[in-house]
Amino acid sequence: MSIYLPIAEMPVNWLLIFVLSGGVGFLSGLTGVGGGFILTPLLIFIGIPAPVAVATQASQIAATSASGLWAQARRNSVDWRMGLLLTCGGVIGGAFGVTLFQQAMRLGQIDIVISLFYVVFLGAIGAMMLMESASALRRDKGAPVRMPLNRPARTIAHRLPLQLRFPRSGLYISIIPPLVLGAAVGALAAIMGVGGAFLLIPAMIYLLRMPTSIVVGTSMFQILCVMALVTMLQAMLTQRVDLVLSAILITGGVLGAQFGARLGARLPAEQVRILLAALILLSAIKLFWDLVRPPDELYVLS
Amino acid sequence: MRAAAYLLLAWLCAANAFAQAPAPPDLPAAVTDEAISVTSDYRGSRMTVFGVNPDRRGRGDIVVVVRGPNLPATIRRKRRVFGLWVNGEPVRFAEAPSFFTVISARPLREIARPQAISSLGLDPAAVARLESATPPDASAADYRRALSRLRRAAGLYSEIPDGLQLRGRGLFSTQVTIPANAPIGAYFADVYLFRDGRLVSSQRSTVTIARIGAERLVHMAATRTPFLYGLFVVIVALGAGWGAALALRRS
Repeated sequence: MSIYLPIAEMPVNWLLIFVLSGGVGFLSGLTGVGGGFILTPLLIFIGIPAPVAVATQASQIAATSASGLWAQARRNSVDWRMGLLLTCGGVIGGAFGVTLFQQAMRLGQIDIVISLFYVVFLGAIGAMMLMESASALRRDKGAPVRMPLNRPARTIAHRLPLQLRFPRSGLYISIIPPLVLGAAVGALAAIMGVGGAFLLIPAMIYLLRMPTSIVVGTSMFQILCVMALVTMLQAMLTQRVDLVLSAILITGGVLGAQFGARLGARLPAEQVRILLAALILLSAIKLFWDLVRPPDELYVLS
Repeated sequence: MRAAAYLLLAWLCAANAFAQAPAPPDLPAAVTDEAISVTSDYRGSRMTVFGVNPDRRGRGDIVVVVRGPNLPATIRRKRRVFGLWVNGEPVRFAEAPSFFTVISARPLREIARPQAISSLGLDPAAVARLESATPPDASAADYRRALSRLRRAAGLYSEIPDGLQLRGRGLFSTQVTIPANAPIGAYFADVYLFRDGRLVSSQRSTVTIARIGAERLVHMAATRTPFLYGLFVVIVALGAGWGAALALRRS
């Protein structure tokens, strides 16, 4: 059961990691919520050094995106031009994120930076998911109500200069918002070891006003490119990408996601979502508690 | 390996018993594993240090010390910033033993005088060479104690005052466990003979812990050719994802 990780320089129980990544992949296949921001803190909880967890997780997200993008591309639900533009932003943001990561590592503050980002984002996402699921459950009990898609007809994306036509999305918008959005997601991806779909998809719908049918495929394209780049940069600058850990995570994640997607139709997805939201909130609270609680040991060694 | 060790032990013992000339002040001792390989199932290693007390009347005390490579270490004391506990100013040690265990049959302080303990470097925290200044509100001793405490908690420093097995006729042996989190590199197993608090003789053996096979390949690729290593990880990841999508679509 034990395998030695060559970069983390520690033996781990590979079955445990396989089950964890499979379980998270299953949940993301089932609910459509990405796996990175659940799996990375889990890896840190079981003792993988935070920099290794974050850097290696990038490669797993690249793999799951590649797996999903293939099906999306066959259905022609990818706006390649928009994806490329988001990727350009993502490259800048990702490079910035990895540099920040490297700097924080040098200052010995990387674990705290990662924890802080997770507390903020896990807390916000968990709370949002919980509220959304609760209201969805309440609706189920009464008459079915169609979810209204409240979005403004024109956003800032339509007013800024440098406008470009996006035929697949049926849009004529400025290229600045997609670039900025891509950069923000790329930076988060590098620092947190997440894909960033939780931020990218709502922004594509509400800010860029893309048709909902193509946002998933397009976001997968951007995440695939950015995570491949982040993996490269992490390997070159921080040298914390563990090939063995990556292989276990990819196998578990890809298999789990496939099973999740197949079983998705047969399980009460809304209840699972609530469970997932609770899990995310609990992780945020645990990470926050570890930051504010007076430590048992005041000194840390590195 | 073990059989060979006991054969050698028996031979050492016999050689000692039949020695005619007055015994030279050397200390016959050895380790069972001089080369330890780190492979994908590495979970730390164990070795036996053994030898014979050359004193015919069995006077004196044997102390076995195993030291890991001297490496830089940084210690930070946490401080509170806006209610959060963050790492404070770094205090650097230019060199500190990465692994240290001292094994004897009774407490070291009863065997060796303080001067001997300090001159032979039998206290790892005292050996560590402090490089940077400590913050005004803490002393160097605090940081040395912290180094020792943290390394003990990680199983890297230990003092085992009842770990030496005496098997009669001067024969001694002890098992040393090097945990998997101990760094890879050259280790030294030193055997000391003390009498009346002073060192009489000593013997050093080298133990090398090294990656071999796939572990060595991956580690070398990641540190020496990071660009190619990153590219390889990315290609494997994308290939695996794409392959899974293809395979599972057909089934």
